Amino acid sequence: MVALARLVARPLIVSTVRKRRPALAGLTPYLLLAPSALFLLAFTYWPVVQVVRSSLTVRGFRGAPHWGLENYSRLFGDAHFTTAVGNTLVYAAGTIIPGLVLALLFALALTETTRLTGTLRTLVALPMLIPLVAAASLFAFIFLPNAGLLDHYLAIFGVAETNWLGDPSLALGSIIAITVWKNCGYYMLFFLAGLAGIPRELLDAAKIDGAGPVQRLFRITLPLLGPTLAFVLVIATLNAMTQIDHVIVLTQGGPSDTTSMLLFYIYQQAQQNFDVGRASAATVVSVGVLFVLSLVSLRSLERGIHYET
Amino acid sequence: MRLYLAAALAACLATGSARAATEIDLFFPVPVQGKLANEMQRLVEVFNKDHAAIHVTPVYSGSYDDTNLKTHAAIQAGKPPAAVIMSANFVREYVINDEIVQLDRLIEKDGMTEAAFMDQFWPALRLNATEQGHAYGVPFHNSTPLLYYSVDAFKDAGLDPEHPPVTWQDWLTAAKKLAKHDGTATTRWGLMMPGTYDYCGWITSGLAMSNGGQFYNPDYGGEVYYTAPSTVGAVRFLDTLVHKAKAMPEGVTDANAVTTAFFQGRTGMMVLSTGSLSFVRDNMKTPYRVAFLPRNLDNAVPIGGASLILPKGNSPEREAAAWTLIKWLTSPEISGGWSRFTGYFAPRIAAYDLPEMKTFIAAHPDAKVALDQLAYARGWFSTYNVVGVRKALEDGVQAVLSGKATPEAAMAKAQQEADALMRPYVEQTALKLPE
Repeated sequence: MVALARLVARPLIVSTVRKRRPALAGLTPYLLLAPSALFLLAFTYWPVVQVVRSSLTVRGFRGAPHWGLENYSRLFGDAHFTTAVGNTLVYAAGTIIPGLVLALLFALALTETTRLTGTLRTLVALPMLIPLVAAASLFAFIFLPNAGLLDHYLAIFGVAETNWLGDPSLALGSIIAITVWKNCGYYMLFFLAGLAGIPRELLDAAKIDGAGPVQRLFRITLPLLGPTLAFVLVIATLNAMTQIDHVIVLTQGGPSDTTSMLLFYIYQQAQQNFDVGRASAATVVSVGVLFVLSLVSLRSLERGIHYET
Repeated sequence: MRLYLAAALAACLATGSARAATEIDLFFPVPVQGKLANEMQRLVEVFNKDHAAIHVTPVYSGSYDDTNLKTHAAIQAGKPPAAVIMSANFVREYVINDEIVQLDRLIEKDGMTEAAFMDQFWPALRLNATEQGHAYGVPFHNSTPLLYYSVDAFKDAGLDPEHPPVTWQDWLTAAKKLAKHDGTATTRWGLMMPGTYDYCGWITSGLAMSNGGQFYNPDYGGEVYYTAPSTVGAVRFLDTLVHKAKAMPEGVTDANAVTTAFFQGRTGMMVLSTGSLSFVRDNMKTPYRVAFLPRNLDNAVPIGGASLILPKGNSPEREAAAWTLIKWLTSPEISGGWSRFTGYFAPRIAAYDLPEMKTFIAAHPDAKVALDQLAYARGWFSTYNVVGVRKALEDGVQAVLSGKATPEAAMAKAQQEADALMRPYVEQTALKLPE
């Protein structure tokens, strides 16, 4: 934040402020940041403090609340929580890896700008314009056993009626497929931007030196895409943890908890079981995990940038 | 001087309008389709026109579960809505948490006793509206599970559409005959029913009751009977339908998939709410009939639907205004009109004495069957922490439907989870003993 303050303040110091009131100059950046800081404090940090507090407040049915760690012990002892964590890990791996690989392949295929690739890019990026809730409602019909679009076309190849969302072994996979479809185009845009930033000369030089397309991809393109990849990885991880609209619309975490994710678990504890203590404890745990993940990813992101320059 | 006059006039107008109308809000859910929301809007406009002293703002609050959530949130925030149309089985939890107005006082003010007031409604509906002899809810629209079957499918399978299955034995036989398999693919199922959360627990409780069980303790919110033979038997029957008879699809099917299959002739029978009668009537192109939910030991179904409640924490004026609204909404005329529009029962017995209701029942024999089944209806599963306790059962039933667990193991696990969810309440009530 201080670094940012300095950055904002620099032009002012150079131009006018220095001449007139040097005393106030030191304060200016903080004054400029005050409104944002106020909102951050009120709407981000204060709620975090509140959640931590309520995760440590133990409430029974009738009777005064007291402080303690019971919410956490109840959380870690809950099989539904363990299932939700497991599902979230599978979901994260299942959406991030295929999502990024597909996005990269699309970006590589559509990197030249022609009228055709322009159209194709738009088509690939289109799902990102559809809100997740709307997409989920569309997929409710696509996934309908037998009568849905998917089963309709699969029937041509002799595939029998499939209960995409109602079969516990398929439901999470179906939810993952929607997410990949939805986010792939978005990630492709980042990769396209990253590809555009790779100097042409490097590729040309490699070609003259006799490097084949595969070598060029692995030796030049991918290493130089490092920072983009790190950035997209952070976005994709956050998406995997924070977007569960389709779970609420399509499965409500079912059948038998097979599509319950961490965030959905929190929602369920807070809103269906009115167990605010356990919901808060789960929130603290998941925010903690997200925080560590972002720190690690941002650090590797910075390293990537140094590599490039 | 002119300024004074204007100010006085404005003051007059202001106090006048303040006296003219008590502002209240009504939270209402729409469990089935969007067109119900418009009808509710229209009803409230009529009410506002007829009652100059009250101005009601209808607030569409989503599904039953969403409405529960929003009402809780509003009460916690100190701004309770004046009246709410609440899923009938959530009422008990509001009583347990002391968040709901006991209606006896308001009923007595009108010169009636609680018992006489409740006698105006069908007996099965009183269970979820009262608690230990006190009234807490006024039944608004209600339903029961119902068996729908396709006449064409019955004829095609060599079954008599005039004689729908009555016992589970008939039911299983019919389902087997109706199911049509083509290699590994199934072109027509014998029976389908929604297995998603909420619906699953409701239908399972109906089967347990038809199997001689109680399913839950109607008098105390801390007990459910998931491991009782009546419940385990019901779940075994579902398992048989899916895995032995191959008459019902494996896994969980949602209500949309069930109705779509029924409309397309891809299932011979379905179990669905009586609240969907109008929807099925409007969309089914071939002839269909309805019948009681078949029994193993008893004819029995749980009620569903919603009651009107008054959350605690409103001013006496708002409470009185909301009570007027509730009485108007549950009057025979309005109750009957809403019933004809939606397919739900009119909870007021007198609604069925009205000429337009008699004409309607005569024209729609399916509505008559649904009404007749009400004589066998029981209370709707309600406990402390009811959503979680219900979900424990549903996770188990879904595992059985998907072939991932045996009925016995699934129900043992469900009972254990339900007990854990109810424990805080049980410890403060049934297990709180003098020392």
